[in-house]
Amino acid sequence: MVLKLIREVLKVGQATLPYPFTPVELAPGFRGKPEYDPQQCIACAACTIACPPNALTMHTDLEQGVRTWSLFYGRCIFCARCEEVCPTGAIKLGHDFELASFSREDLTIRAEFRLAACNLCGAYFASAKELEHVLALLDQAGLPPEDAANRKALLRACPECRRKMDLPRVKPLVQEAFNGRV
Amino acid sequence: MAEYNIKTDSAYAVRPNEAVDRLKGALLKDIQRSCYVYRVDCGGCNGCEIEIFAAITPIFDAERFGIKVVSSPRHADVLVFTGAVTRSMRVPALRAYHAAPEPKVCVAYGACGCSGGIFHDLYCVWGGADKILPIDLYIPGCPPTPPATIHGFAVALGLLNQKMKAGYHSLQDDERSQLLHPQVPLDLRIQIERAARRMAGYWHGRRIADVFLTMIKNGDPLKLSSTLQEYLVAQDDPRLSEIMGRLEEIYLAWFAAH
Repeated sequence: MVLKLIREVLKVGQATLPYPFTPVELAPGFRGKPEYDPQQCIACAACTIACPPNALTMHTDLEQGVRTWSLFYGRCIFCARCEEVCPTGAIKLGHDFELASFSREDLTIRAEFRLAACNLCGAYFASAKELEHVLALLDQAGLPPEDAANRKALLRACPECRRKMDLPRVKPLVQEAFNGRV
Repeated sequence: MAEYNIKTDSAYAVRPNEAVDRLKGALLKDIQRSCYVYRVDCGGCNGCEIEIFAAITPIFDAERFGIKVVSSPRHADVLVFTGAVTRSMRVPALRAYHAAPEPKVCVAYGACGCSGGIFHDLYCVWGGADKILPIDLYIPGCPPTPPATIHGFAVALGLLNQKMKAGYHSLQDDERSQLLHPQVPLDLRIQIERAARRMAGYWHGRRIADVFLTMIKNGDPLKLSSTLQEYLVAQDDPRLSEIMGRLEEIYLAWFAAH
């Protein structure tokens, strides 16, 4: 009877995983701690809009021209929506799950970015790195030089000045549409 | 015990106390291999409970470290608070806290326990156990996996060290983001990414498109078909083969047009 039991035990072997003494084997597609690369981040706020629990937040100070990005791991639900929407691949979910921490501060990461000032009125309007990124994308798109120069000039202005700059181009179109009634 | 009214005091009904903190140090030394845990559900979805029970099954076996889940707060050394602390579960959570003998270690478990998680801004939610109680350790996760649970308790008992560190980055002057796949023409990249995301969903679609675009930029377009075939045979996934086949069609159509 006992021998039979021992045989059974030997056949089954050890079920318990040796974690934490050896690393645990993770399933493919495991979503762990979001790894952030501030070099790649352009502070465009796509992730903060996508984040369902608002673990990712962004504060824009238009007076100082500073935008602060922050991620609080304590609120993260590891859904990878931030990774989906990031246009530069600055945030990716890694394989680290050992996040236990004694304080809230240790669970928070922050990054500070400068805002770009409008080249006409001087008001801060968008992240400087985001603007650089968009200009680089325009170069990559290979537009005709004149068109590209026009678009770049528009992009360097704030939305308000952009509207005013665009007025001479739009006015005849509107007049045409309304048969000169405007 | 501090003077407060358990029914009417709102936030921070219990404040941290220095004398108790000193006792806690002594407690942690004594209970290292005999730690009784009581689980307090403050209005969670039960995902965290399921993972805690998974952590005490033979596969993960938290009892190797003497961690035992008990059914009364009177027996507990460690209280684990799960759930976002809803209006109706706040008082039961406080009662469980006071029923446990001092000194005790309080753990906020899961995204909701740490900060309210996805429910943090609901009208009926206090937003995390640390809003009503002094919390000693946070174990984030939604829910934390059994290994994360075991790691958390090992950190709480001083067997392992905390890995997380606060991070801060300030923008450098010469800092530039890199374009993704700059060697691939923009219109082709957009076509490939859109098609992959439409077929596989955003997260997988992006990863599949990344693999495909890396193949395009590294290899000779004439040899793409054979490299792709090798990769797909190694992956052995008919869904992936289907998607990659469609991406290749898009690429070849684009290549013929240019």
